[in-house]
Formats: sequence, C-alpha cells, structure tokens
Amino acid sequence: MIHCTMDDLLALQAGDAAVWARQHVDACAACRAELEALYQRVAQLKALPAFRPARDRWPAVRATILAERRRRRGRWGLWSLAAAAALAGLIVLRPIWTNRLDAAELERVKQQSATLEQALGRYDPDSRVTSGRAAVLAAALEDRIALIDGELAGLGAREDQNLNLWRQRVNLMERLMRVRVARAAYVGL
Amino acid sequence: MTISLVVPDVLIARARSGDLEALEALYRAFETPVYNLALRILRSPEDAEDVLQETFLEVVKSIARFRGEGHLWGWIRQIAASKALMRVRRNQVRETEELHEEATAPRGAAGTAVGAEVGAVPARIDLERAFERLSDTSRAVVWLHDVEGYTHEEIAEQMGKTVSFSKSQLARAHARLRRLLDHEGTGP
Repeated sequence: MIHCTMDDLLALQAGDAAVWARQHVDACAACRAELEALYQRVAQLKALPAFRPARDRWPAVRATILAERRRRRGRWGLWSLAAAAALAGLIVLRPIWTNRLDAAELERVKQQSATLEQALGRYDPDSRVTSGRAAVLAAALEDRIALIDGELAGLGAREDQNLNLWRQRVNLMERLMRVRVARAAYVGL
Repeated sequence: MTISLVVPDVLIARARSGDLEALEALYRAFETPVYNLALRILRSPEDAEDVLQETFLEVVKSIARFRGEGHLWGWIRQIAASKALMRVRRNQVRETEELHEEATAPRGAAGTAVGAEVGAVPARIDLERAFERLSDTSRAVVWLHDVEGYTHEEIAEQMGKTVSFSKSQLARAHARLRRLLDHEGTGP
C-alpha cells in the first residue's frame, strides 16, 4: 500500500490535496494519524512561549534616530548658510561686474566690512570650540585681513585700488564668518 | 503565536510625524513579536536582538510611507522577516548536510526518513528542541508558514526562491520534526 508522503499530508492540511490522497486518508488509519499529528505539531508550534529580549534595544534605536536628525539638520544648516553667503556675495560683488565705481559704493563696502566686523565680534569666537582644520583656516584668513588692513593704512590715495582692497577685505571677512559659524560649536559657558 | 494587537491610528500618525514618544510606544508594542520571530528563525538571542534593532530603525525610516493598508503588525513583520532572512542567507553552512541527510535516508510513510540518525537523538524530545534542530532555512519556512500564516508564494518572494522550494522545505522540515519527536518505527 502506498501511504501519503509529507507533501500529501501538507496538501491535505491546506485543502488542496489530490483526490487519491483524500480517498487514501479516509481509508488508512495510519495516514489519518499522521495527518492528525501534523495538525497537533502546528498547533503546538503556535503555542510555543514568547520570549522577551534580554536587553532593551530602544536606547540604541533612539540614539541612532537622534544622530540621524542632527546630521540632517547640520546638512540643511550648511546649505542655508551657503545660500545666505551667496546672496551676500552677490550684493557685495555686483558692483564689480557693473564697473560702477564711486564714493557711495566705497562707503557701502566699508559699511559692509564694519557690519561683518561687529557680527564676528558678537559671535565671540574665543568662547567656541573649533576643529584644528577650522582654526588653521580662520588664522590664515585673519592674517590676510591684517595684510589688507596694512595696505589700506599705507595707501590712502587712489580710489579704485582702495575700493578693490575693501572688497577683498569684505570677501575675506565673509569667509571667516562662514568658517566660524559653520565649523564651531558653542561651549555654552 | 497569534498577534491581535491593535495600535491606535493616532499613535501611528504621531509616529509618522517623527514623535519619539510615539515611536517608542510602537517599539514597546511590537518588540516581543519581532524578537520572537527573529529568535525562532535565527536561534541566537544576539542575532534576534540585532534584527529587532534593525527592524525598528527601518520602521522609523519608512513609517512615513506606511499608508495604513493592512495591519501595522503585518507591515512590521514583513520588515522583521526580511531582516532575519538576510541573516539566514549569510549563514547557510548546514543546509547541504541537511539536504544530503534527507536525500540519502530510506523513506517510510509520510515521507519520513527512518534510520540510524533517529537513534542518535533522544527518543523523545520536546517540540521546542526539535524545532531548534532544523536548519535555518527550514525553521524560517516552518515559522513563517505555520505560525505567522505566510503563504508559500509570500515565503518564496521574501526568500528569493520558488514556491516549490518553500513547499519542499516545509515538507522536509515536518518530516524531520516528526522523526525527532517520535519513537523510531512509530507511524504507519
């Protein structure tokens, strides 16, 4: 006598067995017992106890979520800063492209320089933590600004050169601001 | 294990907006079923905990895309099963041995292999231990099909295999379970 295989029994359990398998199970007590055992096993599997994880993994999940959010915020912050700097650069440099050199323009650039100077002063760079790379970059920019200040002090005369140096100074100040704002973290003391 | 957990829609909405408290509430609600699913498939508590963590990171990342079709548990379970099966794929060393054993043993009724290896294990062991003796793939198929209610088509899709593969794995696993649970010679 050919008995049902496990495939046949599983098909019977699923309700899609071949006709011969259904007829065989009706006639064969051994295969009926096998089918019943299969039902029992599945029921027992479903009734196996549930375990709880030994360690709470939520703190790790939470830390990852927060780190990801910080990273995303930082990225957006950098983009915003870049956009603002680009806009400021456009405002300052637009006169170069149009070659409109006059005293009013010189005054405006000087004012821009003074505003940036004040902003940097308010930013209080000494109270902040910067990376080594940012500190080196800031120092190099400060040196170049000091050189321009020396040139401006000794120049005095020609208006166009004067304006050009002030523009360079503003440009360097903006770069310095970007280095300070984007790469420094407040100590908070 | 039957999950009948219903999560309020308002909690899901808060979780989708990124509310950490709501996300933690979801984690607490589903940590046990996710952990159990992973533990039953992988056996290792450490691996199961890793799957739990990976699953919820995926849930947090993707919950904005969950549109509420079907039960939330079904969605989370799918992620968990996928993560667990990825680990199974990394560790399939014993599969060949299992297949060889099944293929070479003489067959009795119900497709069971009867022979010397039955005598190598205790005459009667409980289902828990018998289940643990199955290969990773077999355990995954049995658990997903018999306990979680997956169809063979769904299992095949999750495992990247065919429906026939899922069916034959299930039959092989049940034959082995029967052999491990029963006395030698019991049955037709």
